[in-house]
Amino acid sequence: MNASAWQMLLEGAWTTVWISAVSIAIGVVAGLVIALIRLARIPIIDQLLVLYISVARATPLVTLALFIFLSAPDLGLDLNRSVAGILALSLNTTAFNAEIWRSAFRNFSREQSEAAMATGMTPWITFRRIMLPQMVITSLPGLVNEMSFLIKGSPAIAVIGIVDLTRVTNRISAVTYEPLPPILVAGALYMAIIGCLVWLQRLAERRANRLAM
Amino acid sequence: MSEANTSETAAVSIRHLSKSFDDVEVLRDVELEVKTGEVVTIIGSSGSGKSTLLRCINWLEQPDRGSIHIAGQRIGVNDAGRPMPVRELAKVRAKTGMVFQGFNLWPHLNVLHNVTEAPIHVQGKSKREAEELATALLEKVGMAHKRDSYPNTLSGGQKQRVAIARALAMQPTVMLFDEPTSALDPELVGEVLAVIKDLSAEGYTMVMVTHEMAFARAVSDQVVFLEKGLIIERADPETFFTTPKTDRVRKFLENHDTPSPA
Repeated sequence: MNASAWQMLLEGAWTTVWISAVSIAIGVVAGLVIALIRLARIPIIDQLLVLYISVARATPLVTLALFIFLSAPDLGLDLNRSVAGILALSLNTTAFNAEIWRSAFRNFSREQSEAAMATGMTPWITFRRIMLPQMVITSLPGLVNEMSFLIKGSPAIAVIGIVDLTRVTNRISAVTYEPLPPILVAGALYMAIIGCLVWLQRLAERRANRLAM
Repeated sequence: MSEANTSETAAVSIRHLSKSFDDVEVLRDVELEVKTGEVVTIIGSSGSGKSTLLRCINWLEQPDRGSIHIAGQRIGVNDAGRPMPVRELAKVRAKTGMVFQGFNLWPHLNVLHNVTEAPIHVQGKSKREAEELATALLEKVGMAHKRDSYPNTLSGGQKQRVAIARALAMQPTVMLFDEPTSALDPELVGEVLAVIKDLSAEGYTMVMVTHEMAFARAVSDQVVFLEKGLIIERADPETFFTTPKTDRVRKFLENHDTPSPA
């Protein structure tokens, strides 16, 4: 592999990292918001969210990405590839994250919330100061798992023409006729990216020990 | 007893309180008045409604009928007779401090921050001010040396003492104790009771549900006996423990090893 092949690989890795990072950020926050809304059990809205979650969880990423990219013009939307890719990844991961957050809500100790309310905290302060910090720690293993699924599933967005870390290996081997080196480097780069997440997870686990009373 | 008078002067004033869970009446027309500086102990067999009564005082349980005033202010229901908005309810609740059977400390916060959390985020105290207050309270309960520890490293008795400091930190009008020693190993009961006894000596107003008869006799100004949601006897501790009026209480005390005077 020559210098330009290396550069292409790094650019592909960068595309994978930034598109995944944006989708993860959207997905974690949107998932929490959906879980919060579902707590309120508002008629119709709750059913719509359940429908969204089951559809999004059942749809392959490639299908979702294609659908969004191809249907956007019909809806009068001018989506560029990156936005369509982020939308597909976010819609997918949000559905899974919403379920992770929801189970964290369900399992949260009622006694602890009561103790918070008893000191005069409003439900919002109780959520922000007592529940959320603990829910983040207990949900992190599940969330990080979902993050690494998202990264490993991200090559799906190549279907709408995004040149990510996997797609770029094809382009390189099309020139060099040596498919093995670029795919090995790509594999190593994926491992490095996931490795960062695993490190984050280990950090969280150390704090989680404290919560086990 | 005119209503305006008593609700204005009493720390806690409970009138005509009734509550049912499904078909079971757990509180029936309960009337209770706690004067400032008074220690009231609620006694009764399990299922008699004593914890529910205590939890109604800070509106963790909502009664079906009746009213509760804390230092003259009605809790849970606003002037228009509607359920209080959450912020208003939280404000009245802050006038009460509660200590739970299971401690219920927040495990993600260390001892100091368990105590400073509400003063900072509810009362808007500065961090320094809250920490000074917390340190003083932790000294009072003998836990200042553990201020940087996390709850999972403490014994039950230590946890409960921190929980008492946490409740005191809001400088409540009345402290509510819901069986504070029932979850403790026998050898740890004493350290918690000693702290509560100190508080009563300092003039704190307290309402306590407990099974510790000797302790109730030693610290109470008023003992209330609850049976199937009904207050069937109330008296000063001497009268209550030596010459109970009803057979029911006599039998209850026999089964609980009536304490000799402390």
